[in-house]
Amino acid sequence: MATLLWLQGGACSGNTMSFLNAEEPSACDLVTDFGIEILWHPSLGMELGENAKRIFYDCASGVRPLDIFVFEGTVIQAPNGTGRYNMFADRPMQEWVRELAAQAGIVVAIGDCACWGGIPAMAPNPSQSTGLQFHKRELGGFLGPNWRSKAGLPVINIPGCPAHPDWVTQILVAVASGRAADIALDELQRPQTFFTSFTQTGCTRVQFFEYKQSTLEFGQGTRTGCLFYEFGCRGPMTRSPCNRILWNRQSSKTRAGMPCTGCTEPEFPFFDLAPGTVFKTQKISGAIPKEVPTGTDPISYMALAAAARVAAPKWAKEDMFVV
Amino acid sequence: MVNIIENPATLTGRDLRISPLGRVEGDLDLRVTIRDGVVTSAWTEASMFRGFEIILKGKDPQAGLIVTPRICGICGGSHLTKAAYALDTAWQTELPPNATLIRNIAQACETLQSIPRWFYALFAIDLTNKKYAHLPEYDEAVRRFAPFVGTSYEHGVTLSNKPVEIYAIFGGQWPHSSFMIPGGVMCAPTLADVTRAIAILEYWKDEWLEKKWLGCSVDRWLQNKSWADVMEWMHENERHYNSDCGFFLRFALAAGLDKYGAGWNNYIATGTYFHPERYARPTIEGRNAALIARSGVYVNGQFYDFDQANVREDVTHSFYEGSHALHPFEGRTEPIDPAVGHRQGKYSWAKAPRYLIPGVGSHPVEAGPLARQVIAGRPGAADWQDYDPLFLDAVTTVGPSVLVRVMARMHEAPKYYKLVRKWLDQINLHEKFYIKPKELPEGRGFGSTEAARGSLSDWIVLKDGKIENYQVVTPTAWNIGPRDGREVNGPMEQAFIGTPITDPSDPVELGHVARSYDSCLVCTVHAYDEKTGKALAQFRIGEGA
Repeated sequence: MATLLWLQGGACSGNTMSFLNAEEPSACDLVTDFGIEILWHPSLGMELGENAKRIFYDCASGVRPLDIFVFEGTVIQAPNGTGRYNMFADRPMQEWVRELAAQAGIVVAIGDCACWGGIPAMAPNPSQSTGLQFHKRELGGFLGPNWRSKAGLPVINIPGCPAHPDWVTQILVAVASGRAADIALDELQRPQTFFTSFTQTGCTRVQFFEYKQSTLEFGQGTRTGCLFYEFGCRGPMTRSPCNRILWNRQSSKTRAGMPCTGCTEPEFPFFDLAPGTVFKTQKISGAIPKEVPTGTDPISYMALAAAARVAAPKWAKEDMFVV
Repeated sequence: MVNIIENPATLTGRDLRISPLGRVEGDLDLRVTIRDGVVTSAWTEASMFRGFEIILKGKDPQAGLIVTPRICGICGGSHLTKAAYALDTAWQTELPPNATLIRNIAQACETLQSIPRWFYALFAIDLTNKKYAHLPEYDEAVRRFAPFVGTSYEHGVTLSNKPVEIYAIFGGQWPHSSFMIPGGVMCAPTLADVTRAIAILEYWKDEWLEKKWLGCSVDRWLQNKSWADVMEWMHENERHYNSDCGFFLRFALAAGLDKYGAGWNNYIATGTYFHPERYARPTIEGRNAALIARSGVYVNGQFYDFDQANVREDVTHSFYEGSHALHPFEGRTEPIDPAVGHRQGKYSWAKAPRYLIPGVGSHPVEAGPLARQVIAGRPGAADWQDYDPLFLDAVTTVGPSVLVRVMARMHEAPKYYKLVRKWLDQINLHEKFYIKPKELPEGRGFGSTEAARGSLSDWIVLKDGKIENYQVVTPTAWNIGPRDGREVNGPMEQAFIGTPITDPSDPVELGHVARSYDSCLVCTVHAYDEKTGKALAQFRIGEGA
């Protein structure tokens, strides 16, 4: 039995909606099969008004044990650090966050906003938003670099815009079934089990990538080629299992012809969406991609690419996903 | 009547709050005064601000495709749809019929997901409130609708995943894809994609829509053309009577949900879904004629054509500089500290959208499924357009209410199922899904659609190859927006008036009204006795998605 409280700050509810898409386990299964007691959730709770508020105060003061505190959305600090741009239950949300985080066994940040600040924290960041323990790639965020939960853990970051429901439910199941010690985190405090492989891992276009065959146009053209060379796909540089654990049990962005936007990385949205950067690969001299796959250097990558292009079989230039 | 409204802060002595200029998601404070057990005044106060319109300034013209879906993860696909159409009109693109079909399918599937998810997870759980324990239907309501464990709850919430699986087949994922782009869509589906989508749709229709909700075929339900037909349908046989729909109708009538929550009885629909051949070159002017689910405005019993030029956003009572009412192309979003705003009589982060009817005046208008279905009753539909008299009949015979608003929403499930199936059958796998547009550095665009919960529109101004101004008007803003410069209530504020409160310490009736609008906000209600000014209750009524 583990108690869970879920709150939303500068959020869009996208992570909650994603969470509700979960199957095996579903949100209902978490309650009925895994004994997770959802003390309150903005969309799912029955407790109303004073009863709900009593839960927040009891958890914040330590009267009621809180095993898991889930936070979705940014911590809004505007104006001037007061947090008045995001009031919740009569107080700035940031005050609830500070007190609840201090009492929780573990704290889970769900989605880019809670992890890194996400889109609300993009320039010019009008709401003075930040993540729980990171601001973009910089350790610190709202709680500070040295903050630890009662269980001795830093904030567990489950990024993505939104986070995939399985990434969330499986971490919750791990905690509820006594495997919390197996949750190894990377340097961005993401569970390594999900965020070590790349978005590209399992992408159905990876053979086009290997032979350096580019998609030339969206739509019909995306049945051939790889989206990395022209359309800004960040699949080779992004840590996520989107092509291993499919979305809605069906597909992924890259499988459906949409370039990966790198939404599990702190820099999302990349280049602050400056003119000329959306769905376009940034290039040197109009030809060479500025960024090459993680772990390679531009010169050896260009050599490899040249050789691969020469070696490309005929089928690599054809429509593989035919009608 | 006691008027304590000029400055809400003086009554509560604390900050009040609501949603961002995104105006969806976030918290909603609702303050009401009650006299002799009936609500006499209401203030809707959105309490969270993120500033998406400010963030979009100076960005890539296509930034809205990535940013606006994140205004609301509940309506993210709808945000994407209208953001794409805003650019289509600004860039003067050409859309292949396949692209229009895929956009229609995706947009409708988001709504098909929302209907059961909203009904079971967000609306129906309040029917298990102890207030109704005396009703003969109460035990059955608990059995069906109790959160997590109700027989219909788990089924409805889990099967709500299915329509968005279809979205994922074409868009990669739901929520938060950005696969619609000016000129079409990014995908190029194969035969297996389409057949799988059809199979999922049919499964959802069989297992939830017909078996659980209707207790009859989609076609039988769609024979209902008047409210009297619906009542007759309910008694027609045991399957209808005992379906979730039949049960809900019986419960709602016993609980009096047909007696309050009317609102202004004025509606707006900007319309959605395009005829694949008739919007091949999207323009602002050509939009109405190409729609399948029509646009329109209904005020004081009269129908008017919808024209985006008549939309205004009033900030007199919103936490923004000034007290202007501007068209969104000229819109400004300049936030001020709520603590300062309260002293100026401002009480919400939502702006107050109004529709200006030349020669008639400026009106608050309700958006949402009921609005859409009233507009669907307007005579004169072209043969590719939806004509459906059922809910125009409902509001003119029995009048709008919580019950009628909920039923309008549920009525869209069979209607949109039929459309999605038709569009899936029309996809031509051997034709284009995208036509590369010219990226014009200057221009103005308007894109709009109907999110599950109502009209959702973008106005974009491009200059020097970047965004000069971007304004979003959401259904939640249309509905929960505050008073305007003439002190006229927003639609939801108006709908609370007249609501009878049985138990002031647990006014579940207010929850029903708020949730019937499905505003994307977690609502907190503060209830006051109008005679004494004393606080009666403060409680959360949860979230409308």
